[in-house]
Amino acid sequence: MGKVKCSELRTKEKKELLKQLDELKTELTNLRVAKVTGGAASKLSKIRVVRKAIARVYIVMHQKQKENLRKLYKDRKYKPLDLRAKKTRAMRRALTKHELKLKTKKEICKLRRYPTRVFAVKA
Amino acid sequence: MAPKKTAPKPAAAGSSKAEEKKKPAAPAKEKGTKDGKVEKKSAKPAAKPAAKPAKPAVKKADKPKKDAAKAKSKTASKKAAINKAKKVQTKVIKGAFGTRVRKIRTSVKFHRPHTFRPPRNPKYPRKSVPRRDRMDAFNVIKYPLTTEAAMKKIEDSNTLVFLVHTKANKHHVKAAVKKLYKINVAKVNTLIRPDGKKKAYVKLARDYDALDEANKIGII
Repeated sequence: MGKVKCSELRTKEKKELLKQLDELKTELTNLRVAKVTGGAASKLSKIRVVRKAIARVYIVMHQKQKENLRKLYKDRKYKPLDLRAKKTRAMRRALTKHELKLKTKKEICKLRRYPTRVFAVKA
Repeated sequence: MAPKKTAPKPAAAGSSKAEEKKKPAAPAKEKGTKDGKVEKKSAKPAAKPAAKPAKPAVKKADKPKKDAAKAKSKTASKKAAINKAKKVQTKVIKGAFGTRVRKIRTSVKFHRPHTFRPPRNPKYPRKSVPRRDRMDAFNVIKYPLTTEAAMKKIEDSNTLVFLVHTKANKHHVKAAVKKLYKINVAKVNTLIRPDGKKKAYVKLARDYDALDEANKIGII
């Protein structure tokens, strides 16, 4: 089959990826049968290669899927929880920048009436 | 209906409102209920003298007449007009209170009333994508067994023996074998080996030969 490369997989469509996945999996089952019936060493070493290839296909598939979902939910108000910013639990629960900025009318009046004056001494 | 009402109602202003409501209703409906009208005309003059001297209170006089009228009126629209008039009357009499009707309780028990429970309609799915199914055919069947006992099973009982994922059940195994090897399965027996793996004895349907299938798979 030749080496399965992620860069090649990324150019493929979803259907092609699924087909490739099926092929790799059937190959794996054949190799496993060969292992049980005492197959050649070449076959046995190939098992690892095929397993990793399957993993690569899944990686590319899921990356693409997530990317498309993020595009879909990009400018929506409500996003699924796994598409929201992860940060930390505490940070997610903290006040937003806008909420921190809010001041009461009383406070605004005070600031306006008694601003911090800046003076300079003439040399 | 209209002339009858005007006579005994000097006092209640609200009742007159009701009258006015009825007056436009009555002539509009006269076309539809000629029979009813005729009956009413005959019945009302009789009821009128009977009711007039009997009841001094103006409002009470209305009610039996209303009931009589109600009994005789055929159309639902006339009934609606009467109900409307009654409502207006109670409003006038009692002011801002007294318009709510008390519910009729038919049982001594009180059960929590049923409220509206809408079906779920989320604004966003909690998970962007549901988890993929881990028990696909390739995952269920690990590999076939090639021990002597297994070989015996192939020849004698037309069954194939597989090692299978521990979480797979007989339905999973049946579907997986059908999908991977395209053979019909008669039944599946499973057991868990002492080393923790699950073994499945898959008996094939009559029209399939285990020996041929085993050759195709690669065990032999």
